[in-house]
Amino acid sequence: MENQFHASRQTEERAGYFEVPGAFLYTVLHQVKNPVARVLLVGPFASERHNSYTPWVRWARYLAAENIEVLRYDYRGIGESTGVFDEMTFADWSQDIHLLYAWFAACSPHVPILLHGLGIGAVLAGRAFDAGVGDGLLLWSPPANANQALRATLMRWVGLEQILKFRSEQKSASDYIRDIEQGSPLEVDGYRWSVNLWRDSFQLDLPTALTSQDIAARSYRRPVRIVSLTRNAAPLARGGQIGFDDLKDFTWLFAPNCEWIAAAASQLSKGLAYA
Amino acid sequence: MREAIGNRELIQLDGLGVRLQGTYHLPADSSQGKPVGSASLNRVGVVFVNSLSLPRAASGDSAVHWADSIAQHGYPAFRIDLPGLGDSEGLASTGLLNSINAGDFASVAAAAVEQLVDRFGLSGVVIFGHCAGAVSALYAGAASSHCMGLVLLDPYFHLPLAERPKVRQQLSNWARRSKIGTQASNIYDQVRDLRLSLRGNTPPANANFPLLAKWKQLATAGLPILLLQAPGIKSQGRKPRVGQFDYIEHAVKLAGRKNRVSVEFVGSADHSFANREGRAAVEQHMTDWLLANFPLPEFEFDASHLSLMHAGESQDNGGGSHGHFIKFHENA
Repeated sequence: MENQFHASRQTEERAGYFEVPGAFLYTVLHQVKNPVARVLLVGPFASERHNSYTPWVRWARYLAAENIEVLRYDYRGIGESTGVFDEMTFADWSQDIHLLYAWFAACSPHVPILLHGLGIGAVLAGRAFDAGVGDGLLLWSPPANANQALRATLMRWVGLEQILKFRSEQKSASDYIRDIEQGSPLEVDGYRWSVNLWRDSFQLDLPTALTSQDIAARSYRRPVRIVSLTRNAAPLARGGQIGFDDLKDFTWLFAPNCEWIAAAASQLSKGLAYA
Repeated sequence: MREAIGNRELIQLDGLGVRLQGTYHLPADSSQGKPVGSASLNRVGVVFVNSLSLPRAASGDSAVHWADSIAQHGYPAFRIDLPGLGDSEGLASTGLLNSINAGDFASVAAAAVEQLVDRFGLSGVVIFGHCAGAVSALYAGAASSHCMGLVLLDPYFHLPLAERPKVRQQLSNWARRSKIGTQASNIYDQVRDLRLSLRGNTPPANANFPLLAKWKQLATAGLPILLLQAPGIKSQGRKPRVGQFDYIEHAVKLAGRKNRVSVEFVGSADHSFANREGRAAVEQHMTDWLLANFPLPEFEFDASHLSLMHAGESQDNGGGSHGHFIKFHENA
């Protein structure tokens, strides 16, 4: 029996748990029979995950429909993964990428594997790539460092808080920043940001070579694409209205990025050098 | 990759031709707190449905927390992504809010419930929903013969605009941010209050009447319903903002004399209930309510701290003018 939600299934999706030290990561493999490439999606962080989940899943499905196998996952302590968010560090989340990449790279047939990161995921993916992980890299809206992304999340949350509160009850983003910098953990959208998370976020920089595509191409000799998302890409980018933007059509964003991945994989498969 | 770890198991259901993804939190056994087997549980399960477009973990992963908690108290818990949401297949409507308000998820959620009851040998289910999810839960409860109760967090019974006109949004922003704006807003509230009185306190034209009808159907039949409210904009305790129609009071009136509706106000929560205080209060209220309404005889639980009482008899925290609903003591 079919209903109004019916859509024909194009690829197999296998959800599972992947063991990492002290936790299990929730993963979804968008399986493709003879993939031209594989992409490890390093997604939005903490509450950003929830706000942009639908387009992120659709992006994975879009790639899989184009014969690109995708592995997406939840960071340790977030979403369906186990672990306590407050106790996690950027080192843990970096390790997630390395461990999943190793698993993904062992899948057959052997095809190029690209990393794709968004927001803090872009910083983490960029750093992993800089350390030699991945045959190619796609970044959407990489911040200069993780703190910049945390501030953007905080601004969004404060904006929502202010909708629900009147002037006398409102606190500004700078009030909250002052609190955490003075040593009080901050709860944002149900996630408790520890003081260490905030402090460490300043140190988690995007590698210098990834500040521009040209520098990256020269530095790594591997395909790199950096895309700055604008407001019309909300909720994958800042702006828009939560709950109302995530079901819109993102083909305009997905199509050119998917084409780039396929072209990069093709060149990598042929052994062509990137200069 | 594994499909099960500890007390969690990934499950797939057939959502009327669409594959639904969910997570099952295995209930603890009575003595050692270890997960019990999956077959023939003969217990009431709790099914969580999505709030608007949020994935099944919900804001701040609060649904994961609640599902884990009630599973530890012996109740099997299931978090399900409805079609087109989270990891489930299918295409949700781009007019998602209108679709939810019209009850479009009811039949697919009821089908999912039926499979869970069959597969896990449940005696029935309690459907849990927050905000738009509470609307889906209500419709699903009315569509399912297996629904034995509802937990509704900040349900709404009107038809909100998916997108507010820009001018109105700007006016609201001004009212919130400036002193004069706040005063203007207060005058506006008084005018609305007068209009409300003149209208005889009847539901406004944008009330979701089909949803209120489903509520009435379930509540008058004596279905146990736990309704939790967080403070709203300019609300005064449990009471809504001056000039706003009190839907909760109206819903309780509709529920009739035999109702088993319990309304609790969680002053420490924000609308998401995902903040620490909010999620702890939900956990406590829900656990107490489950133990009182769906006790597990084989589960030796110390329920001595519970005090069942009728609202009209004693503590009255806002909903007590209708003396027929069950209330628990305030614990948050």
